[in-house]
Amino acid sequence: MPKILKATQPENCNGCELCLLEAQRQLKKIGLEESLIRVFRNKAANSQMIENCLEIDPRINMLHIEKISEICPKGVFEVLEEKDENTGSEQISQVQK
Amino acid sequence: MIDLSAKKVLTLDLNNKTAEAKSFVDLNKYLGGVGLGLKLMEIYTDKNPLVISIGPLNGFFPFASKTSVVLNDGGVIEDLYIGGSLSLRMRFAGLDAIVIFGKADQKAILDIYNTQVTFLGEETDVHTLGLPGKRSVICFEDKKVLLDDYFTTPEKYLEKLFAEKNIGGLVLTGTEVFTPTNFVEYEKLYSILLARKEELEVLSGPYPSCSNCPMGCGKSKVGEIGGNVLINSLVACQFADRIYTDIGIIFSCLNTLGYNYTHEDIENLPKLIEETIKKIS
Repeated sequence: MPKILKATQPENCNGCELCLLEAQRQLKKIGLEESLIRVFRNKAANSQMIENCLEIDPRINMLHIEKISEICPKGVFEVLEEKDENTGSEQISQVQK
Repeated sequence: MIDLSAKKVLTLDLNNKTAEAKSFVDLNKYLGGVGLGLKLMEIYTDKNPLVISIGPLNGFFPFASKTSVVLNDGGVIEDLYIGGSLSLRMRFAGLDAIVIFGKADQKAILDIYNTQVTFLGEETDVHTLGLPGKRSVICFEDKKVLLDDYFTTPEKYLEKLFAEKNIGGLVLTGTEVFTPTNFVEYEKLYSILLARKEELEVLSGPYPSCSNCPMGCGKSKVGEIGGNVLINSLVACQFADRIYTDIGIIFSCLNTLGYNYTHEDIENLPKLIEETIKKIS
């Protein structure tokens, strides 16, 4: 069953961008252009706090996503396994944190 | 294009709203950061420049995540260091330094896309400029210069110069990419350095992190002032000095990326910096 990378705790993101740089290295490049993960830094509404929002391109799942998940210092990601629809149970199950 | 064979410098003249990107091979010996910043301060000394610069490892390796700011405060040269995302964006804009001189006739917002510059008026909201995810935003808010709405520099030197030059904000977008010739070696070295995070003199925290640093420490918000010239020419974090004063590691990083620095270049750097300071003091 295919595995997918999901940001299950995006609120923990500290904006270090290690995940997107790891994804880029797996594509043999260093930089931000055409990255399969994007990190947007925003000031939270009515607050001085900084929020980091993540955008993940589904093509990320063709990469070594366990390595991308592991490099995050804040445990933002989980690698999930898509279950067979015929099982009738939950659509995804956690395989690695 | 990211060309590591020369220092690429983007100059912005606020007087006539012009900008120019130039490559200087002869500035390579100043390494980067404060070394490069001081030399550019000397070159443009009659124009009271604000020099923002990075080092050769910024954007490429963990903990090399600060940006150097060199300025003249009433005849005293100050070197400040700011955290956040700027050094990584400068690297991927293909820039080693940004030199801003002159004074805008009206409050100016500077929108930099790699080496292209657009001069805008104060009515422009800086947060609407650049490409999200690939930009750094510097705004002048509540008498404080803020990078990424969070990171600052010590004291009020940068704020004073922003006010003098009539700069309301600056947005930098970097869209270039780089591929080292020996990518396998680069990846290996990157992993080795990242695994040395326990050697940092700060603890992991719940705060916004600088790009390419996992720590999220509470120290990066306020920036740094002065310090070790090698660390500050590499523009690495001062709390990573055990890593970035390790000459073997520094040369491995430089060589893997394709720089042609020698041990003599590093040994001569403090003397070069000292001579430059004497000329501009």
